[in-house]
Amino acid sequence: MVDAAIGEDAIARPRRAVRRRGLRNALKRKSTTAFLLTLPLILLIALLVVYPALYSVHLATLNKSMQRFVGFGNFEFLFKRDTFWLVVKQSCIFAVTAVVFKALIGFIVAHFVHNIPAKGQRKWRGMLLVPWVIPPAMSTLAWLWLFDPSYSAFNYTLAFFGIGPIPWTGDAAWARFSVILVNVWYGAPFFMIMYLASLKSVPDQLYEAAAIDGANWWQRIWYVTLPMMRNIIAITTLFSLIVTFANFDIVRILTAGGPLDKTHIFATWAFRVGIEGSDIPLGASVSLFMVPILAVAAIFILRDVNKRGNES
Amino acid sequence: MSRRKLNRRQFVAATAATSAVMITAPYVRGAYAAGKLSMGFWDHWVPGANQASTDLVNEWAAKEKVEVQIDYITSQGKKIELTIAAEGAAKSGHDLIAMPTWWPHAHAELLEPVNDIMGPIIQENGEVNGTVKYLGQSGGKWLAVPSCVGSQIKGPCTRIDLMKKHAGIDVQQLYPAGGPPKADSWTTETFLKAAEACQKAGVPFGIGLGETTDSVDSAGAFFQAFGAELVNAKGDVTVKTDAVRQALEFYKRLIAALPPDVASWDDASNNKWLVSGKGAMIMNPPSAWAVAKRDAPQIAEQCWTHGFPVGPKGRYAPFLPYFWSIWSFSKNKEAAKSLIVHLSKPASIEKMVAASGGYDLPAYEKLTTLKIWQEQGPPKGTLYHYPNPYNHQTLSIAASPAPPKIAQQIYAQATMTKMCLRYAQGEKMEATLAWAEGECEGFMRS
Amino acid sequence: MSTMTVDKAGPTRNVKYGSMSRDRAWALRWSYFFLTLFAIFSLVPPLYMLITSLKGSAEISAATNPWWVFHPTLENYIGLLTSNQFLRFFFNSAMVSIVVVIITMLISIPAAFALSRMKFWGSATLATGVFLTYLIPDSLLFIPLFKMFALIGDVTGIQLINRWYVLLFIYPTLTVPFCTWIMIGYFASIPKELDEAAIIDGASWLQTLTRIFIPVALPGLIAATIFAFTVSWAQFLYPLVFTTSADQLVLPVGIVTTLIKGDVFNWGQIMTGALLGAAPPLIIYAFLMDYYIAGLTAGATKG
Repeated sequence: MVDAAIGEDAIARPRRAVRRRGLRNALKRKSTTAFLLTLPLILLIALLVVYPALYSVHLATLNKSMQRFVGFGNFEFLFKRDTFWLVVKQSCIFAVTAVVFKALIGFIVAHFVHNIPAKGQRKWRGMLLVPWVIPPAMSTLAWLWLFDPSYSAFNYTLAFFGIGPIPWTGDAAWARFSVILVNVWYGAPFFMIMYLASLKSVPDQLYEAAAIDGANWWQRIWYVTLPMMRNIIAITTLFSLIVTFANFDIVRILTAGGPLDKTHIFATWAFRVGIEGSDIPLGASVSLFMVPILAVAAIFILRDVNKRGNES
Repeated sequence: MSRRKLNRRQFVAATAATSAVMITAPYVRGAYAAGKLSMGFWDHWVPGANQASTDLVNEWAAKEKVEVQIDYITSQGKKIELTIAAEGAAKSGHDLIAMPTWWPHAHAELLEPVNDIMGPIIQENGEVNGTVKYLGQSGGKWLAVPSCVGSQIKGPCTRIDLMKKHAGIDVQQLYPAGGPPKADSWTTETFLKAAEACQKAGVPFGIGLGETTDSVDSAGAFFQAFGAELVNAKGDVTVKTDAVRQALEFYKRLIAALPPDVASWDDASNNKWLVSGKGAMIMNPPSAWAVAKRDAPQIAEQCWTHGFPVGPKGRYAPFLPYFWSIWSFSKNKEAAKSLIVHLSKPASIEKMVAASGGYDLPAYEKLTTLKIWQEQGPPKGTLYHYPNPYNHQTLSIAASPAPPKIAQQIYAQATMTKMCLRYAQGEKMEATLAWAEGECEGFMRS
Repeated sequence: MSTMTVDKAGPTRNVKYGSMSRDRAWALRWSYFFLTLFAIFSLVPPLYMLITSLKGSAEISAATNPWWVFHPTLENYIGLLTSNQFLRFFFNSAMVSIVVVIITMLISIPAAFALSRMKFWGSATLATGVFLTYLIPDSLLFIPLFKMFALIGDVTGIQLINRWYVLLFIYPTLTVPFCTWIMIGYFASIPKELDEAAIIDGASWLQTLTRIFIPVALPGLIAATIFAFTVSWAQFLYPLVFTTSADQLVLPVGIVTTLIKGDVFNWGQIMTGALLGAAPPLIIYAFLMDYYIAGLTAGATKG
C-alpha cells in the first residue's frame, strides 16, 4: 500500500501541475517537502514491517525443514487440526472478552475520576494507571506468584472465608478467567486514560443543556457522552483488540497455553509449534492466520475513523 | 560474568603461564590455532557453575591462542531454543552452541558431523547411554557431543521421614548410600500404594501433569515402564495398544492421589512443592533439594534422590542430555572441535560436575561414580544414586523410541500428559486414544 | 494548560445547580467507593511485589502469611543495586528507551505534519494505513528480522545481533505508528489560519513546523513521548530474541533470564527487580501525567 502511494504521487504531480500552471512551483515544492517529511516513516514501515512480513509469508509456504516449497500446504494441514480451530476460537473469546471488560472498566472508572473534584483527581489517576506502567512481563510474574499452586496469596486469603483452594491456572475455566483477568488488569488503565482525555473535551454546555431538558444520568451518557466519544472509543478498541489478539507474554508466562491447550492463543501456539516443535514454517502460518481476522475487524472499525482522516 | 573476552594483556599473561604446559599438552591442533570462536552455553542455575566452564574455556583459549566469546543463555522462557531457532533460520550466529535434547536432530541438516572427535572421546570416557545415542546420532553420524553441563536425570526425590511414616517404605534401605540398590520391591504398584497413603496423610506426591518438561518426562518414564509407545521406532502410530491403556489406567489412579492442580504445574511447581514441605515426593534433579538446603534445611535433611519404580516392562528413568553442537555455517569448526575435546576430558568433566554441586551428569559409563555424589549432603549420600551408578534403570527420554523428529512433537505438545489428564477427567478410554492418534498423525510432517 | 482543563470539570456544575447538590453528594460517595475498589484491584499486585521484595528467601519458602513481612530485610535491594549486571540492564533499558523516543519523534513529527497539513495523493490512506502496521504481530516478524540483521552483519561486518542497539531499529516499528497518529490528531486541532499566516509571511514549511507547530503542540508531543517510552521500556519478545549476552540485555529480559535459574525462581529478587524496573516510568507519569492527559485530549479526540 505504501509503495503504491509513492508511485501514484509521482504520477499525480505533473497532472496537477498542468492544470494549475501558476501554482506549479509551489505545489511541486510542497509535495516534494511532504514526501521527504514522510519518507522516514515510509522507509521504516517498508523495511522493518512490510518486507519482513512478506518474508514470513514466504516462510509459511515452506515445508518443515524449510527446503521445499509447499504453497498452501501448511494451511491445509492446519485446517484439518482440531487444536488449530480450538486456538482460533480461544483467541477470539480471549480478545473479545478482555477488550469488552477493559473498555467497560475503563469507561466506568474514567467517569468516576471525572466526577470527583479536580484536586483529588491526580492522585486517583496515578494509582489507577500503575498497572499499565509496569512492564507486563514483570507484573505477570507477580500474578503468577499470586496464583502459585503452593504459595497462592489469594488462596491463603480465601481460606479464611472457607473458599478454595482455587486452581487459578490448573482448571480450564479458571485458567481462562485468570489470563483474561490479568489482561484486563493490565489494559484497562489505557482505556481509562484515553476516555478521561476525551471526557474532558466534551463541552460542559452540552451536559447543562441536557440537564435542563430533564435528562437523567443514563440519558446524558447515552445521548451526550457516547456520541462525543465515538471516535476515541473506536480507535482505542481497535488498538487494544489488535494488541490483545496478538498477546504473547501474559499468556505465555501465566499458563503457557495449558491446561490441555485450553488457554492457547495464536502467539503462544505459534511459539509452541514454531520454536518448541522446531517447525518454523508452521508457526509462521499460525501467526499469519491472525492477520486476516484482525483485518476484518480493523476495516469495520476504521470505516468510522476514516472520516476523521478525510477531515484533517 | 557472562561474556568474556580475553584482552591482549590477559592473553599474553595466560599464554606465558601456560606455554610450559603447551609443550606437553596431549592434544594440540596447532595448525588450526588462533582465530575467533564464539559460543553459546546453557546458563547454569547453580551459582559459580558457569565460572568452571569459563575457566576451562579460557585455559584452552590461552593454549590454542584463540580469542573466545562466551554467552551464557538461559533455558528460562525457552530462550536457548529461541536463539537456536533464530540462528538456524538465519544461518548465522555462534560457532558452538549448547542444544537441549531434541534440537540436534531438529537441526540435523545444519550441524557439522563430529564423528572424528566422538570416537576418541568415547574411547577415553566409556560408552554413552542409549538416550544419548538416540538423540545425538543420525544415520550413523554423530550430530553433537553430549555435554555434562545441563544434563540430568529426573528421578524421584523423596522425603525419607514422610515416606517411612505414611507408606512404610524406607528409601534409604532401597537405595543405600555407597552400595547397589535393593529395590526389587519398588514397583509401580508399591509406588501407587505409597502415593495413595501419602495423599491420605495430607502430604501427596508432587508429580506435575502440565506441558513442561518435568511433567512430560515423568509420564514418559512411566509409559515406558508399561511398554507404552505412542509411535514406535519405525514411525507407525501405536496408540491403540494394551500397553498404552495400562499406562493410562495407572496414571488415572495416580492422578487421584495427586494435588488437585497438577494440570497447571510447570517445572518450578514441584520444586516449590518439596521446599514448602507439603509433599512426600517429587520427580526432579537435585535442584529442588539444593534450594531446600538453602531455604529450608530441615526439609533438605530428609531428602533422598533415588531410582524409578519398576513396571511390567522394566525400570526407566528420564535422562535429559544437553549437547555441544557446531553449526555448519560456523567459521571456525576445527577450533570448536578442539574445544569440545578439551571440555570432554575426564578432568574437565569432573571440574564442571563438582562446580554444579553434582547436578550435571556426564553421559559416559566410566564417569558415573565421581566423588562429589558420594559426599554431597545432608543427608550424606543423598545424591549417591542420582547418576544411576549401577545401571539399575534404563535411561531414556519420553516419546522414544519414535523417530526423533516425531518424538520431539509428542514431547513438545505434551501428548502423554494430556492423554492422562483427559482420561483421568472422565473421558472414555477409546475417545482419548482416538484423540491421541489424531495428534500423532499430525506430527508426521517432514 | 492542563490544570485549566481539569478545573472546568466539577465545581462549576455544583454551584450552578444547587438543587442537585444532594444527588451529587451521593454520586460523589459512590464514585469514591468504586474508585477505591478499582484502586485496590490495580494496586494489589504491585503491593504484593513490594511485600515479597522485603522478604528473605527462607521466609518466602516458609509459606507464612503472604501478606505480612515478619523479618523485613533489604538484602534483595542491596543485592540488586550493587550488582553490576543489574545496573547494566537498567542502563541498557534507559539508553534504548531514550534513543527510541528520540528516533520516534524525529520520524513521527515530520510525518504527522505532512499528513495533517500537506495533502498529497495517498496522504489520507497513509494516515490510517500507518495504524494498520499493528496488524502484523511481533511473533510473526522476529524470525525474518533476525535473518535480515544477521545478513547485514555477514555482508557489512557490522554486528547487530546480540547488541542492545539493534533494538533501536526495531522498537520504532512499535512506537511510531501510534505516535504519528496522536500527532496527526493534535496538529489537526491547530487552527489553519496559524500556518497560513506563517506561509504568507514567507516562512517555509519547515519553519512553520519548527516555529509554530512544535511549540503549540507540546502537550501532544509529551503524550507521544511518554507513550513511546512506556512501550520501549516494556518490550519483551524482541529483546528476548535479539540479545543473548548478559551485558546486552534490557531490564525485563534481564530479570526474567538471570533471576530465574532453571526451575528455581528467586522470587524476592524478581519482585525487587520488577519494582525497580517499574520505577522510571512511574516517576515519569507522576510528573508528566497532566500533560499526558492534555496531549491525548487534543490529539485523540479531534475529528
